[in-house]
Amino acid sequence: MNRYTFGIAALLMLTALSPALMAKEELVTLPKRDKVQLTIYNSVDLTLVRETRSLTFKKGNNRLQFSWAGTLIDPTSVEFKAVTGADKLDVLDTSYPAESNQMLIWTIAAEADLSANVEISYFTSGISWAAEYHGMLAADDSSMTLTAYVTVMNNSGEEYEDAQVRLVIGSINLVETIAGLAGGQRTARMEEAYGEMRKAGRAADSSRKEIVKEGLSEYYIYTVGGTETIPNGWAKRLQSFEQAGVPVRSVYTWDPAKYGAQLARILTFKNDEAHKLGKEPLPSGIVRFYRNAGAGRLGYVGAISTNYIAKNDEIKVNAGADPEVTMKVTRTQLKKENLSFAFNGRQQYLQGWDTYETFKLELRNFRDRAVDFEINLVFGGDFDFESELASNKVDFRTQRFALKLDKSGKQEVVYKVRTRFGTNAKK
Amino acid sequence: MNKRLMLSLAFAAGIGSMIGFFNPVPAQARIKLATLPDREAVVVRFDNPNVVMVEEERTISLQKGVNNVDFSWAGTQIDKGSIVFRPADAAAKVEILSTSYPPGEAALTWQISAAEAMSVKFRLSYLMANIQRETDYRMLVSKDEQTCSFKHYFKIRNWSGGRFATADFVTRDGKKFEKGLENGEAKRVLVNTWDKVKLTKEYVYDITRNGEGKVMTDYVLKNAKEIGLGAIPLEYGKVRIYQDDGNGTTAFTGEDWGRFTPIGDDMRLNIGIAQDIKIEMKKMVNDVQNRRGNVYDTDEVDEYEIKNFKDTDAVVTLVLRVDGEWEMKADTSGHESFERIDNETIKFKVKAPAKGTPVKLKFHYQKKNVW
Repeated sequence: MNRYTFGIAALLMLTALSPALMAKEELVTLPKRDKVQLTIYNSVDLTLVRETRSLTFKKGNNRLQFSWAGTLIDPTSVEFKAVTGADKLDVLDTSYPAESNQMLIWTIAAEADLSANVEISYFTSGISWAAEYHGMLAADDSSMTLTAYVTVMNNSGEEYEDAQVRLVIGSINLVETIAGLAGGQRTARMEEAYGEMRKAGRAADSSRKEIVKEGLSEYYIYTVGGTETIPNGWAKRLQSFEQAGVPVRSVYTWDPAKYGAQLARILTFKNDEAHKLGKEPLPSGIVRFYRNAGAGRLGYVGAISTNYIAKNDEIKVNAGADPEVTMKVTRTQLKKENLSFAFNGRQQYLQGWDTYETFKLELRNFRDRAVDFEINLVFGGDFDFESELASNKVDFRTQRFALKLDKSGKQEVVYKVRTRFGTNAKK
Repeated sequence: MNKRLMLSLAFAAGIGSMIGFFNPVPAQARIKLATLPDREAVVVRFDNPNVVMVEEERTISLQKGVNNVDFSWAGTQIDKGSIVFRPADAAAKVEILSTSYPPGEAALTWQISAAEAMSVKFRLSYLMANIQRETDYRMLVSKDEQTCSFKHYFKIRNWSGGRFATADFVTRDGKKFEKGLENGEAKRVLVNTWDKVKLTKEYVYDITRNGEGKVMTDYVLKNAKEIGLGAIPLEYGKVRIYQDDGNGTTAFTGEDWGRFTPIGDDMRLNIGIAQDIKIEMKKMVNDVQNRRGNVYDTDEVDEYEIKNFKDTDAVVTLVLRVDGEWEMKADTSGHESFERIDNETIKFKVKAPAKGTPVKLKFHYQKKNVW
């Protein structure tokens, strides 16, 4: 397959700028890309493409045409840089011909006839990447094997063959979208793509690629080992890391604001050394949990989209309700107390009162092992809370019980809430 | 030289025994000769209440080096993101290098590296849509209504586009049965039978359940070992109730939806109205007391006259509700027992003698601090 039949076509036109010679353009086909590097961002639709090629220049002014029909390149981002011979090459101007909005021509002055390596860089949209995780829970839910993947998706209209791939984790600021600057054109170019994929398969290294992770300012960069060819329209998933024996805490949590009116099983782990992780932040992505259903068979637990998890930060995954662990709240008594009255003329009216309510919380565990609970009770207004079981004040309106029930265990917790209304309430 | 295999679900449209078809998106590209390893040991799991997971085993012959293995599922509804592919033996000397997804196809390609030429058994798991499940029950009640036999059925319907020549189906409570299931086919399987389950029959007056104040007949099954259940949480499902008529046959006596019942909870099934028990309610006292400006208390007496026209005595449960702050007065009378379920709800048990002799429940209460 000939790359230049559909790729980014660049034509090198070497001319001396004297008017007499203007008509006699020398057309030189662009040499093959020597190297291409893709730096793909996940927070915005942006990829920085950096390609190097060897070009031959003649003494005088050279015209170099670069066109990108059918791709999603931002024309304002295309840059030319001489890597070798930079002191002898000078970009005089960049012109965008009126008849084509997907082409530019650089006028480059060369001090002498020379060959040079040049780097052409530009932004394109349509290439993206996403993280994905599989958590394989042990039969007792106490630990898991966490496997992280990165999937690179190419819908840019262009195939970048044997590209070095770098993935950027972080949230960058763009004032205009690259797809908008590119004119929003997407042309499917799938011919030959399958052939390319097969070729890439044949050329593949027979060991799993290492993905090197490094921090940079507020960002993190993953560099995929070796090179990748991802034809237009295809996506490719690679394993980023796998870690066995990651401890997981499973807590049955009542928190209606976060998890709805159900006792949700929340799986918690930390991206830190104690959890055999913490080597790098975990980019946002879908986490899917499976459990060992015996003899290496898998059962499906649930999935959640997570935000970016910084090093040492915690992740909580809602694995849903569990029919074998139940909670019931009953208001067993309501009293109104401390009624206070005022007079309006001879008319007496109620101006303040308290409600004093008693609740019974019943927790039951039908599982064959002990389970932990975290019960968050939210109240409104000016209230006092009392209970026989110790609780923590989480915020001005939330009280939390943390407790454990043995297998087949049952516990009742009685708590009382006094709420002041009207003039009884604190101003 | 890499070997390229194609795994295709046996049910994928248009797949023959030796030739796999992908949607030809470009036409020339994806029609290949492939060795199609048979599916082995297929398991369909219903243990998650919301989704169905299918797991199958395939033995793939790998050559030394990098192998490309295609998997396609055209015509079936597999959740692509849920696919997990791994060797059955974790110690197998193979590595899955990458997964590639072609555009616009229900397919993917794994790159698998093998240390040497070998046959390896792989497990492939995925979520599959449109396999429906449904639970239903049959209850055969003894003539004296003291015990019943309780049968638990599991019904599966396959609209997924796939077919299962044979598979192990696993229910939420871990019961396993082996069946074949074609696309479009449904099967109903008896998964549990509990005999000699103790049954409680209740006559219930509760105007939140029957607004006309009619008395309902309920069967109550406690999902607990002591009555012969309690092995698993009972799934939501329809319960059809039959009764032994004493003549060697049975009569259908009603049906109800059984709600999801964890172990230890009651499954309450309404089998209809008890026409022979009548309850009439009258408010005998309704006084305002202790008026303070716009705040007052009330003194109220509700009287329930219960008539049981049956030939035998019956115990009737009255579930009554009073809102706000209130307390029951000591001269409440006519009941065998009572239980305050919560602040608003009180439950009385009243013994109603046979043959229509009326009995009265006097419910005396004071509402406090009303405004």
